[in-house]
Order: sequence, then structure tokens, then C-alpha cells
Amino acid sequence: MSNVTAAELRRHLASAPEKVFAAFADAQIISRWLTPSSDVKLAVLDFDFRVGGKYRFAYHIPTGQIMTVNGMYRVIEPPSKIIFSWNIEPPDDHAGVQSEVIIGIAPDGEGSELHIRHERLTAAGAVERHREGWHGAVDQLTLLLVKPEQTA
Amino acid sequence: MKVAFAREIIYSHLAMQTASELDLTFQALADGTRRSMVHSLARGRPRSASELGRQFRSAQPTISKHLKVLEKAGLVERTVEGRIHLFRLRRKPLKNAEQWIARQQSFWEGAVDQLDRLLKEASGDE
Repeated sequence: MSNVTAAELRRHLASAPEKVFAAFADAQIISRWLTPSSDVKLAVLDFDFRVGGKYRFAYHIPTGQIMTVNGMYRVIEPPSKIIFSWNIEPPDDHAGVQSEVIIGIAPDGEGSELHIRHERLTAAGAVERHREGWHGAVDQLTLLLVKPEQTA
Repeated sequence: MKVAFAREIIYSHLAMQTASELDLTFQALADGTRRSMVHSLARGRPRSASELGRQFRSAQPTISKHLKVLEKAGLVERTVEGRIHLFRLRRKPLKNAEQWIARQQSFWEGAVDQLDRLLKEASGDE
């Protein structure tokens, strides 16, 4: 069973932490990789890489549709940690997705280990307040999802 | 196939439509008593508010308040039989929460694949 509490992945990369960090810190570089696949093009609309700074990304899908994401950098600790909010802007006024992405970059042999954790939050700006509740909630959610049919 | 799945993430208007539902789901589950109630309902038959009250040793207004939050989030469904209100668990919001996370997982897997390639190209150029 995959982790249902958050999207999470760890990956070894051959480059040093400083280089991996740099790939997050530059709009031009980010536009070359921060998309789910190479045919989805990222246009960086805003990019202010500092604590409290905001970004806005437009994802252009081959069919012509556009998904826009915005957020704010909450923590920037070169070369090891970046935390930013991640809010999807719906086409209609239905903006409800408030989430947070935590990037960890650690030395790993001659390269780095990149750790990405994308969490759902209960509400914008309630990150700290809800952290414990969130983790508790998702633990329970995990249990429910793991054993969906043993009930009833 | 991976590319096709990644596209589906973006195309999915369902994800957008369920965004505020997801918020309700997670808000509902942020409270310990409500989580226990969900768990209890997941394990057994539908229960009345008074049964739940006895089980959780809470005053009826407290239980009613929690049930309303769960109901609003779509996590419980109320059926009325005579004077008895029975509550049963609905799993769909839990599944939606899981799907949202699966989509984000796919997004980041795809992005890190591309980052890996980009870094390799860059180090090859040196």
C-alpha cells in the first residue's frame, strides 16, 4: 500500500546538494524540469525566491488547457531545505486546494538525496496549528483505506 | 504510459471540483473524537447518535455537533427510521483524498525524472 498521507518520494541524484538546490532557485532552470512530463510546458509567471516571496506557474498542456499553480516560499535554507505552499487555481472560482511542499536535500555519497513531501492541509495559513491534527488524521485515514472491506 | 497518466492529472477537472470537498474531509478528520467516530462506524453497523454518545461518553449536543461536521464533509450519511437517526460511513471522500495524493505523487515523480536528466546533461557539459 502506498503512502496515502502525502505524496512523497526520495531519489538519489548524482549532483551535489548545492546544484540540486540551485535547480529550485532559478526561474529559467525550473521551467525546464518542474512539470509532470516533457510535453507539459511550464511558463513561470512570477518567481520571487525568498522567504515570503511568491511564485506563479502556468502549465500548458498539449491540448491547449492551462493549469495554474501559485504559492509562497515559507522556508529557504540553502542547500538543504525549501518549503512552499502549493495552490492550484481552478478555471472556475473553486480554489480550495491548499497544500504544502517540503523539499529536503541531503548529501548522499558523491551526490544528493532529494526528498519531496507534498502534504494536503486543512486550510491556508493553518500549517503549524494543524500539523499535529493533520498527521493524526492521515494516520487514521491510512488505516481506513488499508482495510476498506473488512467492515460493514 | 507514464506520460498519459501525467496528462490525466492535469486534465482532471474532477480534482478541482473536489478541492473544497477535500478540505472538508481533512477538516473533519482533524479532530480526535471525530476520527474515532469514523473508525467506529467503519468497523460496525450504522449507529444512532445516542449509541455513539454512550460509546464516546460525550454529551448529546457534542456528538450532534461532530456528526454534523462529518455529515457536511460527506463522511457520514443519515437515515431516519421513525424517531431514530442512524449514521453510516461513506467512503467516497476518503477515496477522493487518496486520489488527490496519487495525482501529486505522479506529478513529482515526473518532475524529478526530468530534474535528474537535466542535472546529468549539465554535468556532462562541464
